[in-house]
Amino acid sequence: MQWAWLIPVFSFAVAPVIVLAGGRLTALSRVPGGAVLSIAAIGAGFAFFWIALLGWMDASAGTESCYVAAGTEALTCNYERTWFNAGLPGLDGSVALTWGFFVDPLTIAMLGLVTFVALMVQIYSLGYMHGDPRINWYFAVHALFAASMLTIILADSFLLLYVAWELVGVCSYLLIGFWHERPAAREAAKKAFIVTRIGDVGLLVGILLLWREVGTFSMTDAFAAVQAGTMGEGVTIAAALLLFLGAMGKSAQIPFHVWLPDAMEGPTPVSALIHAATMVVAGVFLVARAFPLFEAYNATPLLVVAIVGLVTALVTSTIALVATDIKRILAYSTVSHLGLMMLSLGAFGYTAAIFHLLAHGFAKALLFLGAGSVIHSTEEQEISRLGGLRKVMPLTTLVFAIGAMSLGGIPILAGFWSKDEILQAVSQGRNPAFIVFALITALLSALYMGRALFATFFGKLPQELEHTHESPPVMTVPLALLAILAVGFGFISFNWPGAFGGFGYFVFFHEGHGFEFTWWIGILSGVMAVGAFVFTWMVYERGSISLESARRRFAPLLRVVENKYYFDEIYQWTIDRVVLVFAGFVAFFDRAIVNDIGINGPADTVRRLGVALRLHVTGHLYSYALAMTLGVVALGIFWWLITA
Amino acid sequence: MVTEFNGLLTATVFLPAAGAVLLLLLPGTRDGKPNRAVRGAAVAVAVADLVLALLVFALFDRGEDAARFQFVDQFAWIPDVGLKASYLLAVDGLSAPLVALTGLLGLCAVLASWHIGLRVKEYFFWLLLLQSAVMGVFTSLDLLLFFLFWELELLPMYMLISIWGSGRKEYSAMKFLIFTILGSAFMLVAIVAVFLTPDVGTFNLIELSGAGAALTAAAALIPLAWLFWLFFAAFAVKLPTWPLHTWLPDAHTDAPTAASVMLAGVLLKMGGYGLLRVNVGLFPNQAEQFAWVLVVLGVVSVLYGAVVTMRQTDLKRLIAYSSVSHMGLVLLGIGSVGVGGGGLTVTGLSGAAMQLFTHGTITGLLFLAVGLVYEKAHTRYIPDLGGLAGRMPFVAAAMLIAGLASLGLPGLSGFVSELLVFLGAFRAYGWPTALAVVGIVLAAGYILWMMERAFFGPRPSTGSGERFTDLTDATLVEAAPLALMVVCIIGVGVYPALLTDVFDSALEPMIKAINGG
Repeated sequence: MQWAWLIPVFSFAVAPVIVLAGGRLTALSRVPGGAVLSIAAIGAGFAFFWIALLGWMDASAGTESCYVAAGTEALTCNYERTWFNAGLPGLDGSVALTWGFFVDPLTIAMLGLVTFVALMVQIYSLGYMHGDPRINWYFAVHALFAASMLTIILADSFLLLYVAWELVGVCSYLLIGFWHERPAAREAAKKAFIVTRIGDVGLLVGILLLWREVGTFSMTDAFAAVQAGTMGEGVTIAAALLLFLGAMGKSAQIPFHVWLPDAMEGPTPVSALIHAATMVVAGVFLVARAFPLFEAYNATPLLVVAIVGLVTALVTSTIALVATDIKRILAYSTVSHLGLMMLSLGAFGYTAAIFHLLAHGFAKALLFLGAGSVIHSTEEQEISRLGGLRKVMPLTTLVFAIGAMSLGGIPILAGFWSKDEILQAVSQGRNPAFIVFALITALLSALYMGRALFATFFGKLPQELEHTHESPPVMTVPLALLAILAVGFGFISFNWPGAFGGFGYFVFFHEGHGFEFTWWIGILSGVMAVGAFVFTWMVYERGSISLESARRRFAPLLRVVENKYYFDEIYQWTIDRVVLVFAGFVAFFDRAIVNDIGINGPADTVRRLGVALRLHVTGHLYSYALAMTLGVVALGIFWWLITA
Repeated sequence: MVTEFNGLLTATVFLPAAGAVLLLLLPGTRDGKPNRAVRGAAVAVAVADLVLALLVFALFDRGEDAARFQFVDQFAWIPDVGLKASYLLAVDGLSAPLVALTGLLGLCAVLASWHIGLRVKEYFFWLLLLQSAVMGVFTSLDLLLFFLFWELELLPMYMLISIWGSGRKEYSAMKFLIFTILGSAFMLVAIVAVFLTPDVGTFNLIELSGAGAALTAAAALIPLAWLFWLFFAAFAVKLPTWPLHTWLPDAHTDAPTAASVMLAGVLLKMGGYGLLRVNVGLFPNQAEQFAWVLVVLGVVSVLYGAVVTMRQTDLKRLIAYSSVSHMGLVLLGIGSVGVGGGGLTVTGLSGAAMQLFTHGTITGLLFLAVGLVYEKAHTRYIPDLGGLAGRMPFVAAAMLIAGLASLGLPGLSGFVSELLVFLGAFRAYGWPTALAVVGIVLAAGYILWMMERAFFGPRPSTGSGERFTDLTDATLVEAAPLALMVVCIIGVGVYPALLTDVFDSALEPMIKAINGG
C-alpha cells in the first residue's frame, strides 16, 4: 500500500518517453509505440490499485502510518514522501516540503474507477484512433492525463492537488483541440480551459487563504484546524465556498456548464474518459475530500452546494431532452448527473454521491464508447439521421442499451441503486422541494436516455447506413467489460455478510451505515424509469405516439430550451460587448491618455518650447544690435528707477 | 591597490566586450559577400561567455555561508580624487542566477541573429557590448560602477533598435533612451546623496547594506524616504511599472528579434534586481513602510497590462503588454515586505526574484518564436495568421510551452514564481492579492486566443489559394535557442529548488534586516 504513489508515476514516466521517442518505437512494432507504453503504464496502475485495496483491507489503526482520520472516521493511511525539496522555503520553516499521499476509502474507490476506465478507453482508442498521424501524441497526453488525474486522487496537500488539477485541465485542452485544424475544436478547447480557469481563481485563492490560516498546504492540518476550532467560522466558510468555485468549474456546474458540451469536439474516447467518467468528477471529489470544511459550522456551504447541484441537474436534463447530437445528449446528461452528485453531497449524502460517481462513471464511459462505435462506423452523430442500427451493430446496440437503462434507472441495474441512494439522501437531508425536483430530474434522465437509445438503434435504418459494420473487437471488448459493471456494480451496495459489509461501510463520513431502501422512492423511481423507456420506445420504434402536437403547443418554451437557455449567447454578448469593449477602452486610454498626453505631451511641449525659443537666434546682425540697444535702454531705465 | 581578485567575474563581464572589439578586426566582406566568419565568431564568444556564466552559477557556494558575496574582484579605482570608488565585482545568491540568465539569453540572441544581413559586424559588436553591460549591472557592487554599467547598456540597445529595427524605429529607440535616462537622473542624484551623507562616504553596496546598515544610522543628508523614491524611479521605469510602461510596447514592436529577447529577457530584470538589491537591501524600513504603494502599483500593472494585452493584434505588442502584467507580479512579491510585525518570510521576495528569472526565459522564448514566425510568414498581425502549427510544429510547440508557462501552468517555471508571489503577498495584503489572481484568467484568455488564431485552425486563404503553404519549420540553428529555453522552463518548473535555494541565501539577510527593524 505504501507503493500506491507509484500508480501515477508509471504514467508520468512514460509521457515524455512517448513524446521524444514515440515515432521510433512505432517503427519497431505493429501497433503504435506510444500506445503500448501508455497502456502498459495504466495497466500497471490498475494492478497497483488492487495492491493498494488489499493492503488497505489488511491494515488497521495499528498499522504504521495508518490511523482513523478525524472527520471521516475512516481508516486512512497517509504516507509522506520527501519527493524533493520543492523549493518553497519559508513555508515550513527550513523543513523540506513533502508531497504526501492518502490511501483511504475515497482514494481507493476513485483509483479503481480511474485506472479501470482509463485502461478500457486507451485500449478502445487503439481501434478508434487507428491510422491517425498524431497517434503517439494522443497517447502521450492520455498518459499525462491519467497520471495527473491519479495525483489529484492521491494528494494529501492542497498544493499538489492544485498542480494536478491544472495539469488535467491542460490535458483536456490538448485533447479537445486534438484535431486543431478544425475551427470548432480549437474554439472548444480554448473555451474549456478559460471557463474552468475562472473557477480555478476561486480554488487558488481558497488555497492561499487556507495556507495563511494553517501555515501548510496539508489537508490533514487544515481539517484538524477546523475541528479544533482554531480556524474561525468566517474563514472556514469562505475557504469552502472558494474551493467549491473551483469544483463548479471543473464539474461544469451552472453557470460554468457551457464548456462541457462544446468539449465534445474532441475524439470520442477522450469524451468518455475525461469529460464523462474522470476529470469532470474531480469537482465532486474535491467537495467530498474537503467535506470537513464544508460540514463545519452548521454546514452553511453545503446548502449552496445542494442548490447549485439541483439547479444544474434540472436545467441541463431538460436540454439533454431536446439535443439532437448523440454526444451532446450524453454531455448534458453528464452535467445533469454531476449536479445530482453535488446535490447528494449538499444533502449530506456522502456515500450516495461517491457511489453514484462510480456507477455513473462506468455507465457513461460505456455510453460514450458505444456512441463512439456508432460514429466510428457511420461518421454521423445527429440522431435524426441515425436509426435502426440494431440490425447492423448488434453488440454496440446491446451495450448501449445496458448503459442507457442503467443510467436511466431501470431497476436492478447499477444506476438504479445509486440514483435511489441519492434520492433517499435528499429526502432525508433537505426539505421536500428538493426531493420533488430531484425526482423530476430522474424522470427526465430516463426520458432522454430512452430517446437516445431508441432514436439511434431502433426505428428505420436509413438507406445510406445499410452497409455499416460492427466495430472491431479491440473496441467491443472494452465495451463488454464496462457493460458488466454497468449491470452489476450496484450489488456492492447491499448488506453483505462478512468482512465487506457493503459500500456504506467502505466509503462514509462520520460513520458507516448499511444499505437502506425506502420503498416509496424505489418503486416510484422504478416505475417512472420503466414508463419513460416504454414511452420513448413507442415514440421512436413503434411510432404509435407522435410528439408533433406537443411540440407545437410548447413551441416558445421548446425554443428556449433548444437554445440552451441562451447561456452561450449571454456569455458571448458579455465578452463582446462588455469585456472586450472595456479592454478596448483601456487600450485606447493607454495610447491616448497615458502615452500621447501623459508621456508624449510633456515631450512635445519641450520640443515646441525649443522651437519657439530658438526663433530669437536669427543670425542677422541688425536684430542682435536691436536687442542690445533695447537691453541697454532697459538697464538704463532700471538703474534710473532704483536710484531715483 | 588590489584587495581581492578572483578573476572569474571580470572575465564573464568583459569577455563579450573584448569579443566585440575583436570582431571589428575581421574583414566585413569576403568575395563581395558578407563574411560568414563574423557570426561564427560572435557565437563562439557567446558560447564562451555562457560557459563562464554557468561556471559562476555552478561554482557558487550554496553551503553554510552562502549568504556572503562570492568571486570578489576588488581594487581601488580613482583613489586620488577622494571619490573612494572601487572596482568591485561580486555575486551573491540574488545575482548569480541572473548572470546565468544573461549568459543564456545572450547566446539565444546571437543565434536568433543568424540571418542578419545588414552591417553585420556592427550589429554583433553592439549585441555583445550589450551583454557585457548587463553582466556588469548584475555583478558590480559599487554604486558608481553599477551606474556606469547601467548607462552603458543604453547605447547598444539604442543602436540595435534604431538601425536594425522596423516600423517607427527611431521614435521607439529615442523613447526608450529618454525614459531610461530620465530615470537614471534620479538614481544619480540618489547615489551622490548617499555618498555625501556624513559618515558614509562610500559607494560600496556591501558596506552600505547588511549588518552595518551604515545608511540607517547616519545623519541623513536628505531623508531616507526620498532616497528610496529616487532609486525607485529609475528601477520602476526599467521594470516597467504602470504608468511608466509606454516605452516598452513601442521598443519591443520595433526592435529586431535579438534586441527584443535581450530587452524582455534581461534588461527589464535590471529594474527588479535594482529594487531588490537597493530599495529593499539598503532601505529595509522604507520598503516596509511603502510596501502598500508597491502592491497598488503591482496589482494595477498586473490587471491593466493584462486587459490591454487582450486587445493587441500584433504578436510582439501582445507579448510586450503581457510583460507589463507579469512584471507587476515582481512589485507584488516585493510588496510582501509590508506584512509587518516581524513576521516576514522569504516567500514573497523569493517569488519576485524567481519571477525575474522565469519571465526572462519564458518571454525570451516567446520572442524567439515570434521572431521565427515573422521571418518566415512576414507578418505578425494575428488576424492574417492561422494554422501555422501544421507547417511549423516545432515552433508552435515551443510557443505553446512558453504560453502555458506564461499563464502559470504547474510543472512549468512561471507557476512557481507566481505561486510564491501570491503566497507571500496574500499574507500581507489579502484582497489586493486576490484581485491580482484574476490576472491568471486574463492571461489564459490572451495566450490561448493568440495560440488559437495564429497557430491552430485552417490556414488562411487568399484569392489564389491557401497562404503559408510553403512555410518551413525551424532549422537546427533556429531551433537550438528555442530548445535551450524549453529546457530551462521545464527544468525550473519541475525542480525549482535549483534556483530558490540560491535566491533565498541572498534574500534571508534582507528579511532579517526588515524583521529586526
